[in-house]
Amino acid sequence: MDEKELLIFQKGNNSTHTNFIPKLDIEIEKLENIIPRNLLRDDIPIPDVSEVEIVRHYIKLSRMNYGVDSGIYPLGSCTMKYNPKINEYVARLAEFSQIHPLQEENEGTLQLINAISVLLAEITGMDGFTLQPAAGAHGELVGLLIIKKYFEMKGVKKNKIIVPDSAHGTNPASAKMAGFSIIELQSNQNGEVPLDHLEFAMQQGDVAGIMLTNPNTLGVFDREILKITKIVHKHGGLCYYDGANLNPMLGICRPRDMGFDIVHLNLHKTFSTPHGGGGPGSGPVGVIKELIPFLPTPCIITTDEGLVCTQDRDHSIGRIKAFWGNFGIIVRAYVYILSLGAEGLKRVGQIAVLNANYLRIQLQKKYYLPYDRICKHEFVLTDKNLPNEVTTEDIAKRILDYGYYAPTIYFPLIVNGAMMVEPTETESKKSLDNFIEAMYKIYDEAFNEPDRLKSAPLNTPVGRLDAVNAARNPILKE
Amino acid sequence: MEYRFPSELKYLQTHEWVRIEGNVASVGITDYAQHQLGDIVYVELPEVNTTLNKGSSVAEIESVKAVGELMMPLTGKIIEINNILADKPELVNSSPYGSGWMIKIEISDKSELNDLLSVEAYKEVVNAEKK
Amino acid sequence: MDFVSHDDDTIAEMLKVIGVDKIEDLFDDIPKDILINGLNLPEGLSEPDVLMKLKKLGKKNAVYSNSFLGAGCYFHYIPTLVDFVVSRSEFYTSYTPYQAEASQGYLQAIFEYQSVISRLTKMDVANASMYDGSTALAEAAIMASAITRKNQIILIEGIHPEYIEVVKTYCWGQDIKHKIISLEKLDDELNQEIAAVLFQNPSFFGDIEDTSKIVNLIRKKNPNCLIVQVMTDPTCLGILKPPGETDIDIFVAEGQSFGINPSFGGPGLGIFTAKEKFLRKIPGRLVGKTKEINGTLNGFLLTLQAREQHIRREKASSNICTNQALCSLSALIYLVSLGKTGLREIATQNVQKSQFVKNKLKKIPGYEILNTKPTYNEFMVKCPNVSTLIRECKKQDLLPPLQLSKYYPHMKNVVLICVTESNTKESIEKLFNALELANNNTEGTA
Repeated sequence: MDEKELLIFQKGNNSTHTNFIPKLDIEIEKLENIIPRNLLRDDIPIPDVSEVEIVRHYIKLSRMNYGVDSGIYPLGSCTMKYNPKINEYVARLAEFSQIHPLQEENEGTLQLINAISVLLAEITGMDGFTLQPAAGAHGELVGLLIIKKYFEMKGVKKNKIIVPDSAHGTNPASAKMAGFSIIELQSNQNGEVPLDHLEFAMQQGDVAGIMLTNPNTLGVFDREILKITKIVHKHGGLCYYDGANLNPMLGICRPRDMGFDIVHLNLHKTFSTPHGGGGPGSGPVGVIKELIPFLPTPCIITTDEGLVCTQDRDHSIGRIKAFWGNFGIIVRAYVYILSLGAEGLKRVGQIAVLNANYLRIQLQKKYYLPYDRICKHEFVLTDKNLPNEVTTEDIAKRILDYGYYAPTIYFPLIVNGAMMVEPTETESKKSLDNFIEAMYKIYDEAFNEPDRLKSAPLNTPVGRLDAVNAARNPILKE
Repeated sequence: MEYRFPSELKYLQTHEWVRIEGNVASVGITDYAQHQLGDIVYVELPEVNTTLNKGSSVAEIESVKAVGELMMPLTGKIIEINNILADKPELVNSSPYGSGWMIKIEISDKSELNDLLSVEAYKEVVNAEKK
Repeated sequence: MDFVSHDDDTIAEMLKVIGVDKIEDLFDDIPKDILINGLNLPEGLSEPDVLMKLKKLGKKNAVYSNSFLGAGCYFHYIPTLVDFVVSRSEFYTSYTPYQAEASQGYLQAIFEYQSVISRLTKMDVANASMYDGSTALAEAAIMASAITRKNQIILIEGIHPEYIEVVKTYCWGQDIKHKIISLEKLDDELNQEIAAVLFQNPSFFGDIEDTSKIVNLIRKKNPNCLIVQVMTDPTCLGILKPPGETDIDIFVAEGQSFGINPSFGGPGLGIFTAKEKFLRKIPGRLVGKTKEINGTLNGFLLTLQAREQHIRREKASSNICTNQALCSLSALIYLVSLGKTGLREIATQNVQKSQFVKNKLKKIPGYEILNTKPTYNEFMVKCPNVSTLIRECKKQDLLPPLQLSKYYPHMKNVVLICVTESNTKESIEKLFNALELANNNTEGTA
């Protein structure tokens, strides 16, 4: 990695002319005659920077960044798999990228959205999909609003949602945004949902349902899943599947068959669209037949004249985003599903689990694994048993020195000092072995050179940063 | 790790301390609580003159990686807040029972004092949690 | 095609290390009766086959040589630099920069994005971005309600109709009541129970309002009410007075105009800014500048994370997790590529070219411009024959303007024309051909 770089604002000068504006070829008027002077601005404090300076600046910044194309990215629960290049190519075709959301000749986009809905329905077992949500958390909100509307229509007052303590933070936050209060369910010693507590909570009568991810954030499959969904249904509740961890289930087991009624997917996790440094994502939501009338508008329906989009939907929760979801991302996911097909998707599920378990077995030889059983897509290690007060954060920072990205740390919250590792199916054995070797070396360093770990990272553009000062005295711009 | 718990104070299960002086109660978080949260970066205090019930959330205490709540130990009116914490939230870490105090309450119902914990009772709470 | 690197021997070797005989054994903990026997999907396709299929599908969409359609999604010229930078896979294949030291490049870019948005809008704080303009507006309404602890908001007519729908959905979720009124009614409707007034300027219909007049009215009547402005094409900030100079509390915008392709309406970019005093209530990510713990170098990291869902869970002000990082990167590159000179020039051209079209239109009998206020790059025109106009535009290879009846059924013969810098003189001439044909031609009114 490179040395530090100045901000772009320090690179400007006043003599630069950009070449990105067409020549004005019409007669013009005095601006003040069109728009009154008091509505016009004076300065724009953004420098003019020459093209070559801009390119060098951002290329340099890109070198100070790590992506999946740089190497293994074992960030648990984020499914950092390889992003096929054909996805990028297709999304940039003018026939997809230059289409206005309000134009009439859009049959291709509607067909594509319709086609991927059918594929996702088959993959999850659901009956209908909306492609509107812009991200996973956005999909969660949609799912929860559907639950809210469903009980409103039935005239039943159910204003609570059960969320296990191992859940992603978005789950309780989304439920709250939909107006629910949250019952947090403590996981049992196996990291699974305790059936007796669930039964008790459901008996209160005001619980609308449960949000669950399975495999859960510990990476293990909840073996009682059928009993869980049955209990919730028995008391008139709905079961929501957080699809963040769907990758290892592809072609193996479907949320609908587990008993779920609503599911959101993360196209940027399971279906290989790039994470983009934190978006744009896409979070389609699938539902069982009974809930289709509640999906957001607009929706696409098939008529005699082909596909048309409509605002009409009996009990729709309404619109949740302008226009049509993150279509540019949806195209990429569609390309991915077509490329893999039935066999390919199943292999994704299998190899994701194979890779995770191989890594687990090897790392377990040194690091503490609180939930010791066959995992699915990921597993959680901790800093327990490490000498010299070496912490999870120290380990994570030292991994950066070895040229890899670190696992998700201090999550899930139910495990102290958690390191959540998810290799995904696209890592080769060689890549896994290299990572294992680095983790072994770091383990040895914890015994022999603990100071090195505590002062890590040493090989990155900057050393460990002062997060406390940053939060006490926020500097958010220049 | 040894924590300080002054014996003249009263405590809550949720890790607040209370100092009673006549009709006024000063409130802050305990040494144990500040340690659990880590470096405090921000404290959001209520407006003066609000009246709140015992057990309701009255302030939020943020560290880099966690958020804690300050619960009303007693029903009453907020008569003073520690404005210095806006610029110096670190006082909660360095002096949790002194300059890191958060609010002063005019007590509405003195009978509620009986529900507060003694230092011995609170130490048991902490010991149980540490396990 | 599955992008897996293992051969069968490798898989066998790995299974042996794990201590199981076959891959299926790794799924032993799943109840047998819910294991499926493969998916009912077509076989995977090779790269050329996928390409062929997608290109065929793409042919069913029309790509026009020039566009007069805006209404929340705009065709502005995108410098080639933008795609060049966002195509760097160190950027686009990375994720949320949790490990700051290995993500300094992206963190610095987001910090620069926050800075450049702050400079353009003159607002105190910009976050790292939201999904799009509509959800940013909805989040602003929720934030205002949380700050003021009031649960009623007022939406002023002239906000993009789809944004209004989104705000309604979000507000229903949190039991926030809303009222949609015209600007003229604001004085009557504004009471002490209102958390926020939301308005779009320039409006959906193209009008440029005098923001300071609206602000004065609200401040006088209810000083605690928050004022939220939304914008769908912020290129106008190249000439128009920025929200930070007119005492706006929360300013949000759709940033698609800043170097992002239309892509059928997404992904876009939700620009979200606010006054400093609301910093701790802002939803979404924020990147801050700090120093090394044991050194002297400056660095960047995600900060004030205690606001966010992964720490605060159900007490978080929003459930948002991702931002639209790659789109914010596009916007950053776009804005610095143009610089102050280019931004002013782009905005000027949008105004001048639409003014040119407006002036010419006035000379064609049968057409009437409905805006009485100054406009930026969109304006409403009453037409003698809308369907012919639409048809003639398409014949000329032009993406026709929006028929306002799509959103407002009573506005039968009105179109919203959008003229940007990317409309050439030639395309404007073609538009006039279409306009004149639609005037002479009386058939096809169905």
